[in-house]
Amino acid sequence: MSEYAPVLSLEGLHVGIGGTSILHGIDLEIKRGEIHAIMGRNGSGKTTAASTIMGHPDYEIESGSIELDGADLLELEPWERARKGVFLSFQYPQSVPGLQVGHFLRKSVAAIRGDEAAKGAPFRNALKSAMEEVSIPRSFLSRYVNDGFSGGEKKRFEILQLMLLKPKLAILDETDSGLDIDGIRVVSRGINAAIRGSESGALIITHYSRILEHVKPDYVHVLIKGKIVKSGGPELALELEEKGYEWLESDAKEDD
Amino acid sequence: MGVSEELYLSLDEPPTSDHLWRYTPWKKIHPTGDFKEIPRDVKSPRVNLTYVDGEPVEGVTLETGKEAGIPFEGSPTTDSFLMAITKGNSLVLSIPGKWSNEKPLLIDIETEGGVEALHLHILAGDLSEATILTRISGPCEWLGLLRTAETGKGSIVTDVVVSKIQGGSLVRVDALRAGRDSTITSGTVSAGSQKTKADIRYLLDSPGSSLNVLGSLLSAEKMHLDHHIEINHTAPHTYSRLEWHTACGGASTSVGTGMLRIEKGAKQADAGQLFHNLLLSKKASANSIPELEVEESDVVGCGHGTANGPVDESQRFYLMARGFSEQESEDALIAAFLNSTLTEMGGQDVHSWLISAVEDALVNLNN
Repeated sequence: MSEYAPVLSLEGLHVGIGGTSILHGIDLEIKRGEIHAIMGRNGSGKTTAASTIMGHPDYEIESGSIELDGADLLELEPWERARKGVFLSFQYPQSVPGLQVGHFLRKSVAAIRGDEAAKGAPFRNALKSAMEEVSIPRSFLSRYVNDGFSGGEKKRFEILQLMLLKPKLAILDETDSGLDIDGIRVVSRGINAAIRGSESGALIITHYSRILEHVKPDYVHVLIKGKIVKSGGPELALELEEKGYEWLESDAKEDD
Repeated sequence: MGVSEELYLSLDEPPTSDHLWRYTPWKKIHPTGDFKEIPRDVKSPRVNLTYVDGEPVEGVTLETGKEAGIPFEGSPTTDSFLMAITKGNSLVLSIPGKWSNEKPLLIDIETEGGVEALHLHILAGDLSEATILTRISGPCEWLGLLRTAETGKGSIVTDVVVSKIQGGSLVRVDALRAGRDSTITSGTVSAGSQKTKADIRYLLDSPGSSLNVLGSLLSAEKMHLDHHIEINHTAPHTYSRLEWHTACGGASTSVGTGMLRIEKGAKQADAGQLFHNLLLSKKASANSIPELEVEESDVVGCGHGTANGPVDESQRFYLMARGFSEQESEDALIAAFLNSTLTEMGGQDVHSWLISAVEDALVNLNN
């Protein structure tokens, strides 16, 4: 691993599913401590990018590379990527009836950060503090994973996991969708606590600029039809909020 | 010759066209395979009653020598056969009226081999509150277990049977009659026996009774598990739910047949049943056939369903994204699948006890 290697590096990433190409050459670098945002309409390929980095088996890499800290991820299974430090906050987190939250969290922390991190007072204190940060009551520990959770509870539970797992790279796939203003404020607090001041990098995927008012990105990228058509600073998110995506669609067509 | 023996010998072999015998013909599970034979040398397994923590029980009795009947009619073949071979081998568990204790009772049934049989009759008095765990374990060749029960008015009874016998065949017949306004939780946890044929029946013939039937079953290797669950609503304002989860691994076969019957006059009955099979290998097979017979039009609800499938790939991906390896995620999902019914069988202490009772069996599932 190079000392200066970015946390995440995507080069010429082409991805398809079921024979249909979705991503048409994505180049992206996220360095330590940086927060990047990818914005785009429904169907632009945002979730495909997130799932591909996590290693979802349904997505086929047609060409290109994905590296974490300079190491190739393509041959690794999703659980190996998770243990290397990739975290995906799911847009639609799965419920697992019968699997208790407390047991799940301990097992997950042990798998990713080692047995010691999931033991005793340090684990209990970290859990207590993270639960307070994202306003999750202790009674959640005896509930089943995402089973019967409201939309907002699911998103807060994803951020709780982010805080406990301390990944190198956090991908947040539409974590703001379905949340009201207060919900966005709570999850943003958790994201900032997990990423700001750490060595981690983050990729926030969203339709809207609302969450970016609370989690300030260093860079914003616009994804249209599977291509990044424009990159800029946080001001780009505001520009998109004002002008929509239409003005950038011609850029995507020109490159087709 | 006793009445039961006489009745049994007068019967024809039950046809496989009968719902109850479709998947496990009687001669396949009969102790000798000869339909007309009633074994003579039938032993009683060892039976011991304590609290679940091993402490002696006070106020509740387990007595031998009391003859007990079957509270309502089921299959004449197995009813008469088991009554015949358990003659003199019956035990009556009596829970007095208003008796209650938070600690679960444990009836330990230990098999030793050969042909064994037992009739256990449970009488729960009016307004009593009890949790009864029946654990069947030990080396087994053939065990016939007849469990009959009557719950008193307003009683609250949790009755869980855990089968962990090693190999052999288990023929189990249950007939439980619910008293007025009684609340019953009835669980089956199965993680043993090469062949099981269970015919579990409930009669809700008093108003206000409530029944929750739960199953957590593991079938592995070449096991054959066949459970028939029949719930009969004959009184108004009765409630029942059935949720039956079976994890099928190896080259095992699992069968769950349900009969939910709402008779004329069972007004405002509310009933539902769901069979759910988790298929863990291509060689495993699962058949679930819930059936309804509804003769009353004024019901709150009455439904049934079945779902068969492998481990959910989206759930697996979610766990893998949280660092669970492929095998760990599969194990966690199997345990969760079984746990979602286990956890409904009682409070935290019952749940912990049940988990420890089945943990060792989980490792055999993927073989």
